[in-house]
Amino acid sequence: MAKTVEEINEKIMRGKVVVVTAEEFSHMATKTDLESLAEKVDVVTTATFGPMCSSSAVLNFGHWSPGIRMEEITLNGVSAYEGLAAVDTLIGATAESKFDPTYGGANVIEDLIGGKDVRLFARGKGTDCYPTREIDTWISKGDLNEFYLFNPRNAYQNYGAATNSTSKIKYTYMGTLLPRNSNITYSTSGELSPLLNDPFLRTIGLGTRIFLGGTEGYVVWNGTQYNTTRERNERGIPIGTGATLALIGDAKAMSTEFIRSAYYEKYGVSLFVGIGIPIPVLDIQMAKHLSIRNSQIETIVSDYGVEGHPSVCRVTYEQLQSGKVLLPGGKEAKSAPLSSLSKAREIAKLLQAWIEKGEFTLTEAVHPLPAKSFVKPLVPREGGSR
Amino acid sequence: MKKRYALRFSPSLVEQPIISKLVRTYDVDINILNADVASGRGGKLVVELSGSEDALKESVLWLNRTGVVVSEMVKELNFQEQQCIHCGACTAVCSPKALFMDTSWKLVYDANLCVLCTLCIQACPMQLFSLSHEREA
Repeated sequence: MAKTVEEINEKIMRGKVVVVTAEEFSHMATKTDLESLAEKVDVVTTATFGPMCSSSAVLNFGHWSPGIRMEEITLNGVSAYEGLAAVDTLIGATAESKFDPTYGGANVIEDLIGGKDVRLFARGKGTDCYPTREIDTWISKGDLNEFYLFNPRNAYQNYGAATNSTSKIKYTYMGTLLPRNSNITYSTSGELSPLLNDPFLRTIGLGTRIFLGGTEGYVVWNGTQYNTTRERNERGIPIGTGATLALIGDAKAMSTEFIRSAYYEKYGVSLFVGIGIPIPVLDIQMAKHLSIRNSQIETIVSDYGVEGHPSVCRVTYEQLQSGKVLLPGGKEAKSAPLSSLSKAREIAKLLQAWIEKGEFTLTEAVHPLPAKSFVKPLVPREGGSR
Repeated sequence: MKKRYALRFSPSLVEQPIISKLVRTYDVDINILNADVASGRGGKLVVELSGSEDALKESVLWLNRTGVVVSEMVKELNFQEQQCIHCGACTAVCSPKALFMDTSWKLVYDANLCVLCTLCIQACPMQLFSLSHEREA
């Protein structure tokens, strides 16, 4: 029998809700039929904790006296965006410090969340209403009016694995790729990953409440490079990159347990973001999606040694998680993860506990995310508008 | 047995004939590999001591007692384990499998298997690995 989100929320309030993690649900589905599972389980928690470069934070510093119209802003030497009124800014995770390439926007975000002081330097030209031209001071999250994460592209539904066919080591955002296809790296929490458990985003849309960085957050738009046109396997899983989410949440309430800066050698700075999404088991169809196993999730292995990253082969996450993959041509490559499955499990369990305790209820989407969208490349052209 | 040590001298210790006392008291040979000492400011000697295991041990104890700061020159991989997020990126480059994921997907480091290739130093996105050249003796 089908359930509604409203009915599930009533169960949460009455303390009668049945919540399991996506891994537990997939395991249960090997022993119990989907009809009884859809009846018995109300919510499945999914999670991921991986490097997500398209992340940022919005800050409001409050006004200096006499006022300054900040037209050049650095936080611990990292440039922040200067084009948002007088004292608003956005700092991107991958922005690098002018003094230290291993320190960037992600570190500033992590330091602020961790309660550290951060040096603020700002300059303006000086106007009648904002006469101050330069300030050099310190801030911490308690001083800020607003400090929230705004991540334009997180929670990739699926992502290609990487290898390197050249004779030289490659340092990439997919980690260190050894020469001659000696290793493969992949980034997913597999059957625990949010958008692999709701492949057509039936229950996830605008306004969906989620776990973000240790507190609650929200889906505010489709993520950038949102792609619905990727070929899907028989379980509806896109083979390679697919849907993405734009997320928002109060960074002041977040924890450095679930937001961590990262530095990839010869690539730059990125941010590990902890995300958990509760998925309501509305009916048998959702139960079927949620019963997905790593052996049923496929992705493409791409050669990062060659321009355009051509495809090498198609693999399942079960193969990747086994630690070795046999490549076409007979070479056995060592496979290694980049996203933390143990941390993702911690998030899924935490979200489960919040729901069981009635601290977190589910939401119905205000609006669905696009049903049709594909990713265009940047095509070079000369001249102006055409 | 041969071992290499870094010996650090304070300005006052430089004024004493420590190395010759060491040789006359203990049955060790000393090969000075590098020296940067000067009267009035102290400095550092890098030496290779050869002798029996006991003689080396006694020598180090005696040097420590005289106030010389002694450290053994050994290459070692340091891992700040408490800050590890268990992503597994380092396991991608660890051929001897000194770094591996256990069955619950937590990172394990087995120092006995490490060959000091140092690839993990660059591979770790949290920058938790470093190579040390000296160890307190």
